[in-house]
Amino acid sequence: MGGSDLFVGTLDVLILKAVSQGRMHGYAIGRWIRQTTKDALNVQEGALYPALHRLERKGLLEEDWGVSETGREAKYYKITAAGRRRLRAEAARWKEYADAVTLALAAGEA
Amino acid sequence: MRVFRVSFGERGVRRDVASEIAFHIEMRTRELVASGMSLERARAEAIAVFGDPALIEAAVRSERRRVVRRRDWRDRINSIGQDIKYAVRTLHRAPGFTAAVLVTLALGIGVNTAIFSMVNGVLLRRLPYAHGDRLVTLEHPVRSLAINDIGFSPTEAADLRASLSSLDGLAEYHSMSFDLLGHGEPRRVQTGVVSADFFDLIGVRPLLGRTFIRGEDHDGAPPVLVLSYRFWMTALGGDSAIVGQTFTMNDRQHLVIGVLPPLPAYPDRNDVWMPVSSCPFRSRPRVKSDRAARMVAIIGRVAQGRGPTDAQREAAALETRWHTAYPDAYSPAIKDAAVKVTPLRASMTQSAAPAFLVLLAVAGLVLLVACINVAHLTLARHLGRQRELAIRTALGAGRRRLLRQLLTESVLLSLAGGAIGLVGAAGVVGALARYTARFTPRAEEIVLDWRVAAFTFAIAALAGVAFGVIPVFAQGRDVVSRLRDGGATTSGNARVRLRGLLVIGEVALAFVILIGAGLMIRSFARLVTTSPGYDLQNVVTARVDLNFTKYSKAEPIRRFTDDVIERLSSNGSVKAVAIATEFPASSSNAQNLSTFVVRGREVADSSRLPKAEISIVSQGYFGALGVPIVGGRAFGPADRDTAVPVAMISLAAARKYFAGGDAVGRQISLDGHQWATVIGVAGDVRQFGPASDVPEQIYLPLTLATTRDLRVLVRSGAGAAATSTLIRQIVHAVDPNQPVTDVVTLEDARRDAIASPRLTTALLTAFAILALVIAAAGLGGVIAYSVGQRTQEFGIRMALGAERQAILALVVRQGVGLAAIGVLLGALVARSTAHSLTGLLYGVQPTDAITYLGVAAVFIVVALIACVVPARRATAIDPAATIRAS
Repeated sequence: MGGSDLFVGTLDVLILKAVSQGRMHGYAIGRWIRQTTKDALNVQEGALYPALHRLERKGLLEEDWGVSETGREAKYYKITAAGRRRLRAEAARWKEYADAVTLALAAGEA
Repeated sequence: MRVFRVSFGERGVRRDVASEIAFHIEMRTRELVASGMSLERARAEAIAVFGDPALIEAAVRSERRRVVRRRDWRDRINSIGQDIKYAVRTLHRAPGFTAAVLVTLALGIGVNTAIFSMVNGVLLRRLPYAHGDRLVTLEHPVRSLAINDIGFSPTEAADLRASLSSLDGLAEYHSMSFDLLGHGEPRRVQTGVVSADFFDLIGVRPLLGRTFIRGEDHDGAPPVLVLSYRFWMTALGGDSAIVGQTFTMNDRQHLVIGVLPPLPAYPDRNDVWMPVSSCPFRSRPRVKSDRAARMVAIIGRVAQGRGPTDAQREAAALETRWHTAYPDAYSPAIKDAAVKVTPLRASMTQSAAPAFLVLLAVAGLVLLVACINVAHLTLARHLGRQRELAIRTALGAGRRRLLRQLLTESVLLSLAGGAIGLVGAAGVVGALARYTARFTPRAEEIVLDWRVAAFTFAIAALAGVAFGVIPVFAQGRDVVSRLRDGGATTSGNARVRLRGLLVIGEVALAFVILIGAGLMIRSFARLVTTSPGYDLQNVVTARVDLNFTKYSKAEPIRRFTDDVIERLSSNGSVKAVAIATEFPASSSNAQNLSTFVVRGREVADSSRLPKAEISIVSQGYFGALGVPIVGGRAFGPADRDTAVPVAMISLAAARKYFAGGDAVGRQISLDGHQWATVIGVAGDVRQFGPASDVPEQIYLPLTLATTRDLRVLVRSGAGAAATSTLIRQIVHAVDPNQPVTDVVTLEDARRDAIASPRLTTALLTAFAILALVIAAAGLGGVIAYSVGQRTQEFGIRMALGAERQAILALVVRQGVGLAAIGVLLGALVARSTAHSLTGLLYGVQPTDAITYLGVAAVFIVVALIACVVPARRATAIDPAATIRAS
């Protein structure tokens, strides 16, 4: 998968955001990201999985095997307390960054 | 629904990852089908938007493996943590058991820690010199004279330096004492005199300033001094501005150029150091040029890739050339002189090693006894825990799990015991270092460092495993399953037998330790009670090392000694006064063996000449020391200034060399030119300390000699303190600038001389008492347990008419029987190992029957005492009650 560090960080934040709403399996997380970003990120769906496992290794997500809506056994992910803290921090950072860029761009127009 | 999903290794990882990805593709396909795509197209599309599944699987797997590995570790640590928590809880519920085990182990491990700290500091640590491993000492022994080292002359040292290719450096050393003036009161300082490269050679950097540089030992170089750390701290208060200041020594200004870091007191406890050119004695033309002026020691550094044997071989070849080229300097008496090269580490520690290793071995035995005893306690405790263990088994704990739990408990106990032992050892290590100073200059390096701590916890863990496993496995192959079955029906007999074996082992080991201690005590008693040949009491000695420049000739020396003797003698409390070069058992006493010729018995072959120790003494010497005159007469006033020189000899010399007749009246000579008449025979004296043999001695009168390093001996009824003051006062009255040092009583000197055997004996005795107490506790415990087991039997016996006396005898016989077997076994072991003590024993054989019988008697008495308490309990049984209870 290609992409910059910024992109990798973005995917992580989106995953955390998705899972923060309740436990989800990988497919549901991908679908949520696709739908909420209106496919703007245009990632290969497979790129999600290394990110999920990396977040699990870092202790931000927890695995939780369960049965899916189709009756199949599937791996679900839950956010951990550390994950929530990270999400809050990243969201704040992202907002700060976006505000700054927005401000800079607006300054040029004025 | 799966509650637990455990991934087992790589297969689990592969399966989990594959199923997660397959699930994704399946779900995506479903979604696409739902939006109207054909199944086939939907599947292709799902895979296309997913990316290469194989590539992604590989990436996820490597992440996944790390997750799994981490989780496995966490699980393992958690379960160990659980074991520990559980162990702490159960131990907390058995405070008596826990305390007994902790005390036993803390003592057993603590003694090992303490002794290991000695072994570590002295034998194991690197020398505190950068080039320590390559340093060697060169000695010059003469075997035919039994002299360990005649030293080297500066000329010889220069030759060795020039021709030994196996050494990449070589420095000469000697030590003298000089008066140091300029900072407060005049001080007598012990001065190491070395070639300029000495400190670079051994690899020591100064704490302040610098050490000597090349050329600073050449003739005419301005005098400089380097201070030892100890002298700088104690005499100068660690004055950081000392470098650059000057002291007056030997009537010359000496500039202080540096201060050394703390170092072992090796080769001597020097206060200051100077280059050879600053030493007035070493710079005399005669000393510099005379090949026979042997007065220095040599330290060398072996070149990379070469060894001490190479140096020794080269030196031997050189020595042969010397003997041929300079016959004048190599008299026939020293024709077998041969340079001996020894690694510095060995020469610094060789006197300590045998005693240390014996102590370490015995400390190991003590720990073994302690472990056996703890194994007893653990065994007894397992019996009380059968129900608990059965419950845990019922809850699914396997054999391995139970074993691990038991091991966790024992290792936890032993580590705690080790920690307590370490703290205890820390408390005594300072005292040990002080006592050990007699053995080795490295005593100050005895500290508790990380190595000692690591050793402590290593033996603690080992001990924990040992006493944790023995009781489990020794009982039979499948004790855990037996415990699991409830165990109440298993025979107590097997267990009693095992405990009996343990007790026998314990007694045997303790016996071996006691034999070691017993032999040392017997040897030490010999040492103390053997007559030294002189009267130790009420004699104070002091060193008066006359100033080299002021007393350079015989006349002023004689005036000084006459004056001091006369003034001291006129004091009312003084009974006798003498001045001599040495006194018996003095710590500075060096061999001064010489060959001599008896008039009328001259022999051509000098190696067959008689040999004797030469002592130079004033006329009151024998009276002051209380040495009897056994023939002829002692030196008297008439022997002063006589044209016919006189000598005295010791009884041993008279017996050995004048066996056929009277020695008195015969003439002897040390050099074959000057003859002296033997006027008397003095009783034998243990000149080199209580453990030494009586040497053959020749005494020469002080009036004939010009030695400056003198000892004043005063026998007085006034007490040591008053006498010391008197000596100082009178010496200062005669010469106000003359320092008086090393003031000791003869008793002090003798006590110092036997300090190291005393330390070894005291430590071994402490170990022995410890082992005896532990073994007795073990024996008492076993008997108590056996009495508990046999309550019913005793009840029935008594009901059938057995006397209480008979029951008592039965129990005691069992205990003493076990002890007796242990004693016999111990005697066999001791008999075959005690020879390792031979080097430490004086006047006692390692097979000494009295020691063996005495120790055996001690054991039987202790066994009786240990058995009587539980045996009395056996006789207090109420027969009716016990029978009803069954």
